[in-house]
This record gives sequence, structure tokens and C-alpha cells, in this order.
Amino acid sequence: MKGENNIRLLSGNHAVSWGVKLARPQVAPLYPITPQTPILEKLTEFHSRGELDAELLTPESEHSAMSACVAASLTGARVFTATSSQGLLLMHELLHYASGARAPIVMFNVNRTPGSPWAFWPDQIDSLSQRDTGWIKMYSESPQESLDTVIQAFRISEKLSLPLMISHDAFYVSHAVEPVALPQQEQVDSFLPAYKPELRLDTSLGQSFGAPIDQATWNRSRRETAAAMARVENEVLETGKAWGELTGRSYAALEHYRTEGAGVVIVTMGSMCGTVRDAVDALREQGSAVGLLKVRQFRPLPVQTLRNSLAGIPCALVLDRNYSPGMGGILHQELKSALFAMDDAPRVHGFLTGVGGVNVASMKIQQLVTEYADAEPSVDSVWVE
Amino acid sequence: MREILIVGRGGQGAQTAGDQLARAFFTEGKYVQTFATYGGARRGTPVTSSIRVDDQAVRLRCDIECASAFLCFDDSLLDEGFLARAGAKTTIVVNSAKSREAFCDYSDFRILPINGKDIARQNDMGKVVNSALLGAFVAALDQPGLETMCGVIEQTAPAKIQQNVAACRQAYQMFKDSI
Repeated sequence: MKGENNIRLLSGNHAVSWGVKLARPQVAPLYPITPQTPILEKLTEFHSRGELDAELLTPESEHSAMSACVAASLTGARVFTATSSQGLLLMHELLHYASGARAPIVMFNVNRTPGSPWAFWPDQIDSLSQRDTGWIKMYSESPQESLDTVIQAFRISEKLSLPLMISHDAFYVSHAVEPVALPQQEQVDSFLPAYKPELRLDTSLGQSFGAPIDQATWNRSRRETAAAMARVENEVLETGKAWGELTGRSYAALEHYRTEGAGVVIVTMGSMCGTVRDAVDALREQGSAVGLLKVRQFRPLPVQTLRNSLAGIPCALVLDRNYSPGMGGILHQELKSALFAMDDAPRVHGFLTGVGGVNVASMKIQQLVTEYADAEPSVDSVWVE
Repeated sequence: MREILIVGRGGQGAQTAGDQLARAFFTEGKYVQTFATYGGARRGTPVTSSIRVDDQAVRLRCDIECASAFLCFDDSLLDEGFLARAGAKTTIVVNSAKSREAFCDYSDFRILPINGKDIARQNDMGKVVNSALLGAFVAALDQPGLETMCGVIEQTAPAKIQQNVAACRQAYQMFKDSI
């Protein structure tokens, strides 16, 4: 990175704002909330300096912000918004509406504990609890990945007419100031074509969206969404490759880190991936064959690729920074489901690490591997102190 | 990898100091990561800024459990919880009007007081102590260089630029003279 031009020290949130600016959205309804607010502030700063030619709307709530996003997107505008935790939960009704209307909105969510009790710590339950709303859902590990992904998100979302939510963890990514490579505007312009949908709200066309329909038509709308969802993983891969050709940084739905010949693969997403890389290197140095499988695309869950990636691996440890009360870690549950009826599936252990933002150090991860690599797994996720 | 913690109370400038220190290391060619964590009511409540400095990209995304150096904006924050994240070799620079002897109860640690408030006042900075504390801190760490630190303060201080730089230089010199 040191050899690259245009490296700046940016927080994860400001890296998102830079990515958004480069993607040239036309409308951005925004409502502040800790720890997302720096995204909004930086976009407002760009706008005030005349560097962002977008209509910034500041409605009275996140519910109204998402309502404005849907309407603006259906007119054919490129639309961005950002939120966190309570704000995302207030949008819930409209998240279903946006995906049903096939509005390609790009939203950035900063993962934060929802109340009660009131807190601001990194925990992914806010975004994971929105998993059934029909949005493509991606998780970012670092400020650089957040910048790169938000630009790619517009291309994926607009190509498939599906809204896309990217999340990064509060503080460990949102407020982490690091060297970030900024792409040139011309590079992004060549990568991201202007959004010109054939179907749109336009008084000269006389079309409308969302009219009451019969049962069969509603059913068909979800089958069409399913067909679009089935194309997501390949689109994420193709877009990630194209970005790699442009910048040297490629992406896919999943990332393998040192999984060759692994006896244990750690499966996780978001900020913990960085610490897991350190733990993997330390364990490899001690002679343990351990790797990381990073889940970057969570919805649609890349089921077949997960099965292929873990086939023949003796043991998988899932680290969840979330807790679904009465069920356990969401990634743990989803992975078990994805591996259903596979002959050579790994033993799957699930750990509730980092719930509520508690610290998950490299040494703790190494201890989990040592303790559980050869153990019989329990059905339930295990709380980790 | 060097791991540094800056602890202050919301509004004192601990987060700004963390960003400025990281920027100075970055200017000298290091890879850095800095992030602040704080509770809900920021002003007056403890704020921690974590800084990692390395020769390669920083991948860790977790808390610093044992810092190699500490900068403490307020000696009332110097309690057990704070010191649990310090080791015997940790350099702790603390903003305090007390003498070095006043910290002899903490014999397990290397605690170096600096009267940041006094230096700030002498430089027309009122109660804003972060530039003075950074001057003392880089003197204690021997890195980054004073000129780099002053350059970053010049670029990033929101007001009273010359006064901030002067406070940084004075604290640096006082600290070097005292050890």
C-alpha cells in the first residue's frame, strides 16, 4: 500500500463517505445516529463544498428516510442512505417495501447493540435481525473494504434491482482510522455506469408501483425476487473481480485465508475476521493447520459455495458477534442448515463471542481452537467469557 | 507492533490526540490503526483512544489488553481498571500537577507526570492540554519525531495553531530535561 498514490488516513465511516461520493448518488435521505453520524457529516461536508452533486434530505426519522429512499429510487435516481441499530429497526417496515418494489437502494449500517439496555457497542444483531427483508446483505472487515464495497454495491444492486445493505462493526471498523487507498474518480466512473432503469416513476410514462394485487401475483413477485437472489453470488464475484482489475483488490462472496490442508476452519464475518487472521498465523506457526472462511455475503447465503468450501474439513468453529435469544448465534444456525445432509461435513461448533461488543482477542480465539478442535460439538451455541 | 492507549474524559481531546499521534507515525512511514471508544454521554465520561503502530498493515480488530505506552489526561483516571491494561514495562505519562514522588505508591509501573494544564495556560491554551501532553508523550516514546508531531498539529489543530505547537515544544523540552 505504501507504494500506492492517494493513500489517506480515514476512519471506516469516512471511507464509506468517500466511496459514496465517488459513486455519484443523486439522492441521499439521511438521519443521524451514533455511531453512523460521521458518514452523514462527511457527506454533508462534501455537499457544502460543491463536491457532491446530490439532493441530501434530512427527514424527521429513519422511517421517513427509508420512505424517501424508496420513492426516489423508483424515479430512477441512484440512492444512498446510512443508519445504525435503532434507526435500522425503525426502518423495518420499509425494508420489506423496498425489496418488494425492487428498489436498488444502497444502505450502509454500522452494527451497534439495540436497546435495551442502552449501549453503543459493536454487535451484529441489528442487521442480522433484518435478514428476511429481501435485501442483499454484506459484511465488511475494514475501512478499505467498506470503501471498495460501497462502490461495488451500486453496480450489484442496480444490475439486479435489489436493495443492498452493507454493515461494518461499530468502533473496530467505523471509528478505526487507517491508511485507505482512494480510487480516482475516472476509475469509478468507468466501473459504475449511470443508472437508467427502463421501469420508473415518470409522469411522461404513466407507470405506477405497488398497486394492490391478487394472491398469485404477490406469490410471483417473491419468485421473481428469488430468481434475482439466485444471481447475486455470481454478480458479487464478477463485480469483485472487475474491481480487482481496476485497483488490485478483488472480492468474492466468501474469502479463504490459509484454509489449504486445514483441520480446523474458523467461520465468521465482519471485524472479527481481522483478529482471526492473526490467530490463524499464530496457530500455523505452532504447527496447527487452521484457516479462516470469511463470510462477506450473508444474504443470499452462498450455500453451495459454503458446502464446497467445508467439504472434507474435520472441524469448523463459528464465531458469532450476535445472539438470537432462544436459538443462539445466527451464523452458527445458518451454517448448520447450509451443511444439512452432507456426508463429509465438518463438526460444527458455535461460539457466542463478542456479543454486546465484548473483546475477542487473538489469544482467546487460539484457546478456542486448542480446546474444541477435537471435541464433540453441542447443538447449541456456547457462550464464551 | 507498538500498542498505545490514550485515556481522558470526553471533551478533553483524547480522541483528537490519538488521531494526531497516529497521523504523525503514519507521516514517518508506519502503518497505523487508531480508534476511540466511548459511552453514551461523552462529555466528562472516560474516553479511550487505541493506537497500533507497525511496519505492516494492522489486522487486529480487538481491544488493546496490555499497552506498551499510556497517555492519561487526568490523574483521577489512574485507577485499577486503567492499570490492569499496563505492564511493568509500560510507559505511563499522566497529566498531573503532582511530583513524580507522589506516584511512588505505583511502584510496579513507570509513571511520568507532566503538568499539562500549567503548560497550556502559559501558552494561552486555557484548559486545552492535548498538544502539551503529546509533546511530553513523544519525548517519552522517542517516536515520532518532535518536528513530525508539530507538523501534524499545525495541519490539524482547529484553532490557535502557533499556541498549540508552542505548547507541544515546551512540554517536549521540559520532559526531556527532566529525565
